[in-house]
Amino acid sequence: MWKYLLPVAAFVALAVLFAFGLNPNRDIHALPSPLIGKPAPLFNLTDVMDPARTISNAALKGQVYMLNVWGTWCYACRQEHEALLDIARQHVLPIVGLDYMDQREKAQQWLTQLGNPYSGVAFDTDGRTAIDWGVYGAPETFLVDRQGRVIYKFISPMTPEVWQHDFLPRIEAARRSGA
Amino acid sequence: MRRTAAPRAASSALLAVLLAAVLGALLAGASAPVRAQAARAVDAYGQLEDPALQARFEHITAQLRCLVCQNESIADSNVELASDLRRQVREMLLAGQSDETIFKFMTDRYGEFVRFNPPLEAKTLFIWGAPFVMLLLGVLIVYRIVLKRSRMPLDDEPAPGSM
Repeated sequence: MWKYLLPVAAFVALAVLFAFGLNPNRDIHALPSPLIGKPAPLFNLTDVMDPARTISNAALKGQVYMLNVWGTWCYACRQEHEALLDIARQHVLPIVGLDYMDQREKAQQWLTQLGNPYSGVAFDTDGRTAIDWGVYGAPETFLVDRQGRVIYKFISPMTPEVWQHDFLPRIEAARRSGA
Repeated sequence: MRRTAAPRAASSALLAVLLAAVLGALLAGASAPVRAQAARAVDAYGQLEDPALQARFEHITAQLRCLVCQNESIADSNVELASDLRRQVREMLLAGQSDETIFKFMTDRYGEFVRFNPPLEAKTLFIWGAPFVMLLLGVLIVYRIVLKRSRMPLDDEPAPGSM
């Protein structure tokens, strides 16, 4: 009996492994964030548009907000920009930008030309804030709840579908629960 | 008598050879450097003054995965993030932090995946143990085959009962 069952079991196990491993929809670069459920790292950076102004996420405690990591060098950020503008127009929550590995002038030009969906854009000059958030590319989008905890991380360009399916329900749930 | 004694001798000899090979491979692996010293990415800072710190720096950065390229360590990668992380390791070393603190700093932010050598814990027991389980399984299978074959009559030997 074993003689026949064992190869069949091995085959099934291998098939399942391949089904996961070779799935073309699986993004091998999307890694789970260890930050989920942990306090969002605090930052105090200058505003991209106005270096005299500082942007700090400590000031956002008490409200659900989104942190979007981007850079003008990032092609996918250009792709998602329209979706972000659309989200901003819905006035659901503040979108904080984190401009990563970028040049201030280029970022300013980008926001002036394409429109600015952000309530403020923090300028991460040396990449330290990005390291604190475990950022390893762009775009990356985080969701932070009212207690200042990271509740979700999305790695890929934002789309209206992602916003509808992955973000809105989580935002609503975060607003319903807790103080 | 000869029928039972001979196979046992043959299979235990085989087992001994296999075990010796495994042990040899393990010892060779332990004494060899973790990775060939291939092209290392170079930073503007240059080497650390203290050779002991430099050695720890090289060890740690070779053990951390560059998440942009994933199969390169941050010691090898020229990506900007890798360079930022090398700067981080360097600063933490100069501040007198332990290797463990530095690894924890990285895993707190990037997850266990940043470590090329995840520590042996309950949840990593499987990945560390699987090769040995596989090996044991292989030895068992070979052992059984050898045992079975050694019980078979040789071609030039008359089959039992045919006489």
